[in-house]
Amino acid sequence: MKLQTEPTDAELLRLMLAGDEKSFAMLYQRRQGGIYRFALQMSGSQQIAEDVTHDVFLFLMKDGHVFDPSKGAVSSFLFGVARNYVLRRFRGEHSTVPLHDDDDDPQFDQALDEPGPLEDLTRAETIENVRRAVLSLPERYREVVVLCELQELSYGETAEVLGCAIGTVRSRLHRARSLLLTKLRPERAAEVTTSAAVESARCFA
Amino acid sequence: MNCQKFENVASELARGQIIDVELRNDALAHSEGCADCAAQLHDEEMLTRGLRSLAVEMNSCEAPAALQTNLLNAFRQQQVVVPMPVRKNYRRYWLAAVAALILVVFSVMAIRLQREVKQVSPPQVALGPQKPGKASEGVSQSPDTGSQISQKELAVSKPQVEKPRRQSSMNPNLAQARLATSRNNKNVASNHASSEVATDFMPIGYLNMESVQDGAQIVRVEVPRTALVKFGLPVNMDRPNERVKADVLLGVDGMAHAIRFVQDRKLQ
Repeated sequence: MKLQTEPTDAELLRLMLAGDEKSFAMLYQRRQGGIYRFALQMSGSQQIAEDVTHDVFLFLMKDGHVFDPSKGAVSSFLFGVARNYVLRRFRGEHSTVPLHDDDDDPQFDQALDEPGPLEDLTRAETIENVRRAVLSLPERYREVVVLCELQELSYGETAEVLGCAIGTVRSRLHRARSLLLTKLRPERAAEVTTSAAVESARCFA
Repeated sequence: MNCQKFENVASELARGQIIDVELRNDALAHSEGCADCAAQLHDEEMLTRGLRSLAVEMNSCEAPAALQTNLLNAFRQQQVVVPMPVRKNYRRYWLAAVAALILVVFSVMAIRLQREVKQVSPPQVALGPQKPGKASEGVSQSPDTGSQISQKELAVSKPQVEKPRRQSSMNPNLAQARLATSRNNKNVASNHASSEVATDFMPIGYLNMESVQDGAQIVRVEVPRTALVKFGLPVNMDRPNERVKADVLLGVDGMAHAIRFVQDRKLQ
């Protein structure tokens, strides 16, 4: 009985760089979804997501030899390239979605003003609120939420993508989640920030 | 565990990331006894659920199929210029090294060949002291004609590689006649040479040896007798208006580089 195993991303990349079209197609099929979703979750724009996905795999064709296996997996490498392209688009276009100016979006404000949206987060209509809340995060917090929570990468993989320490990823994610909670439950956040009694009421024993 | 420690682990507890069982149990036990921490854990869990719902909902999002087609087309077009990088670099280095070696070998061979050719036929024009007999050997034509070229000296001044003689297609009788004529001319030239006395060549101004070595011509001219004074030669002041014969050495640049004065032996 012959055991056939799927080629790894690194093998596919090597074959692709040697000119094997099937390997390129296989690698694309395997990784395009994650890259596309990452770009979409980061930008909120399908057009940007398509452009970034295109640019990432075009980069892989031309400069795929710069991939260093000792620095991480191919998927992390691709997410890193995608991140650079997304940030480049943000710098060039100042983003196509409101990232930090929630006040300008009446729909979002209305959604946030609804009582207790966290209670119903599993419902379809509130998923949109979460998506908007994620998009409203500053870039450095948004990217850790997208990678760790939405793409479900480990801290180590996220650190490879971002080129930072694991501890930095943890602290950024902690801060990002706090910001998300604040955005999704403003009345509770207001309580927490305005009332020192809340802090003192908690036990430290 | 206190609230501060709980706050630090609350998000990881909600995400199910805490591997340490003891720490998780402590956190859960604390949240049961602390309303605020329980509320925080509840919020964190709701947030986690919301994010996972969003992730699940977006899992079906993929790039359009047209993008793959475009990329595959681009891949096919680029195939010509996408070789394996490491091998390519080594090949380049080796090719460059071999090319450099070949260049060095050829240049050394060319230089050596050039030197050998120069040694075989050195272009020299005797400017030093000459014996009277030898100096007058090269006069080929009648010195009375004014400007003539000394054939032998011209041959010496122009380094020439001996070319293979072509098969003459002319009439053998005509060829013999021409050969006889040339022999007669040589005899005439030698007769003239023996009938003259010449001084050494004296440089005129700055002597550019390169223009002389590349090929020179000697031209017979007549100059006023007073020209002898300029070269420190004695002049008979009784006949200052007479002309004297001289051979002028012309370089390839057409400039006169040296001069010698010639006198018929019978006039001496």
